[in-house]
Amino acid sequence: MFEVRFHGRGGQGAVMAAQTLAEAAVIEGNYAIAFPFFGAERRGAPVLAFTRIDNKKIYSKTQVYAPDCVVVLDDSLLDTIDVVAGLKPEGTVVINSKDKPEDIDLGKELRTGVINATSVALEILKAPITNTTILGAFAKATGIVRIESLEEAIRRRFGEKLGAQVGERNALAARTAYEKTIIGKSKAIKKLEPKKQWLPTYQELPVGGALVEGKTDAGLIGPGSFIENKVMGWATFRPLRDKEKCTMCLLCWFYCPEGTIVRISDRGDLMTNYDYCKGCGVCANECPVDAIKMVRARA
Amino acid sequence: MITIKDLPDHNLFTAGHTACPGCGVAMSIRNAIRVLGKDTAVYVPASCAVVFGTTFPYGAWKVPFFHTAFENTGACLTGMQAAFEKKGKQVISAGFAGDGGTYDIGLQSMSGAAERNDNVLYICLDNEAYMNTGIQRSGGTPFGAWTTTTPVGTKIQGNRRFKKNLADIVIAHEIPYYATLSIGHPLDFIRKVEKAKNIKGFRFLHMFTPCIPGWKMDPAKTVEVTKRAVESGMWTLYEVENGEKKITYKPGKMKSVKDYLMMQGRFRHMSEEDIRKLQMWVCRKWNLHYKEKGAPQICEIAPPEEHHAVTEEHREMHGP
Repeated sequence: MFEVRFHGRGGQGAVMAAQTLAEAAVIEGNYAIAFPFFGAERRGAPVLAFTRIDNKKIYSKTQVYAPDCVVVLDDSLLDTIDVVAGLKPEGTVVINSKDKPEDIDLGKELRTGVINATSVALEILKAPITNTTILGAFAKATGIVRIESLEEAIRRRFGEKLGAQVGERNALAARTAYEKTIIGKSKAIKKLEPKKQWLPTYQELPVGGALVEGKTDAGLIGPGSFIENKVMGWATFRPLRDKEKCTMCLLCWFYCPEGTIVRISDRGDLMTNYDYCKGCGVCANECPVDAIKMVRARA
Repeated sequence: MITIKDLPDHNLFTAGHTACPGCGVAMSIRNAIRVLGKDTAVYVPASCAVVFGTTFPYGAWKVPFFHTAFENTGACLTGMQAAFEKKGKQVISAGFAGDGGTYDIGLQSMSGAAERNDNVLYICLDNEAYMNTGIQRSGGTPFGAWTTTTPVGTKIQGNRRFKKNLADIVIAHEIPYYATLSIGHPLDFIRKVEKAKNIKGFRFLHMFTPCIPGWKMDPAKTVEVTKRAVESGMWTLYEVENGEKKITYKPGKMKSVKDYLMMQGRFRHMSEEDIRKLQMWVCRKWNLHYKEKGAPQICEIAPPEEHHAVTEEHREMHGP
């Protein structure tokens, strides 16, 4: 049995990728299942999806804990999540990144396939949705499915839902990625430490779940503690403000749903705190004097 | 009257929350709490706002926050306010419920609080479906919209019912203040929240909050889409103070509803006939609301004089 775990962000299409891969395997006469991890996912939040492929019937319905291949749709996830957890030693990692395999630090030396899927997707699909692109890289790096059956699966699945033209474009994105994928070995420098969690005993738990502002070993808890949750990894684009053009109308500050644009009244100025920017682009769209431009966040 | 410049620098709903990029609910909440200030206690029933704003043990709110079940926003606000009054504290009890928690599930509780005219502030964040649970139809979903429970098939495409007229239900309780708000009209938004803050009794603020994944649209267009909704008449900005209705913003020229619909993936499947049906509903609403006929090139069909012109067509269109 060949097991794959997809790490993505909500909206990138990790679930679609898992399903399309399963369909490609079925086209080749194998058995396959695909399913997502259910949680309270928002767009941009880390998500998981799984695919199992075998040449006989599959009865296992659990999550994949020891995958043969890990597919990472967004390299910003590498900083916060141990994507290679449980990966078999001879397993493969497929990553969407602009770096070369030997520059990617996974904490282990692993066979790594790299594709700059965001660039390919932006060029061909005109949107940073990297699921079909990364599947092309998967086919090249693992050889578990042929690229032809993958293209066929993409045409079927996407064509049915979004029209034949979209299906064709996505198949082209997969083919382009297949040809551009670089395979090498990753670095093993960083020591992966699991993120600390606040785990109180039952005596310490507040009655009725009531929480007051507090500081624990794992960081802040209670009111206002979300300030520690840096979300810059969600962004594909980020705003750049031209101070010369800006008229300080404060509309961007008013509209920003995140608190990325910080106002400093004493200095009569605005500041952009990219730690919290999810790259929605509302500020650039609403600026009355076009002083804000959206640029690639990690180019 | 306060403007954008008079709002405080710091926000009582901190950054780092986990809403989708471009979330209309996050925008509305952040700006409402800016105006309401720190002497506010917040109640949020089951909704996106509770998932992205408070994930135990973390929280984005810097004001007292309370959450229980879906259907009791009105009752909880009443209880909170009673406790604060007993303790002699001057606090605004504000509830941020979604459209599901107001139109459908929380209606009885909201009605109870409105009928008793309890001194609370009820805010409905209307994104026109149950977005938190994965986009199911609610009473607030407009005609033709795709949701997972009103799918697009070969025989029936999208929601067949028109948006429920919640405004009239709320106003019928003879409450001191009801207002509709849109994040795309900042001055109007700030003025209405400020007004509701200073009124005694049951105040209801109805906010129009686009949902990026549920409406299937570009996250950068959140504000633009609310502006188009107002310009086409899909959303109207007004306030009702002690039974007196006042229109607070009237678009200069009525725009076709198609401009608004084609921005969103949830409407993109709509047939010409369905669009005409929805346009007629909007024209009638426009007629009743602004006391004038809509733009002649858009509303070529005169809306029926009588609301109960009983044909099958109109029976289906129980609009305002």
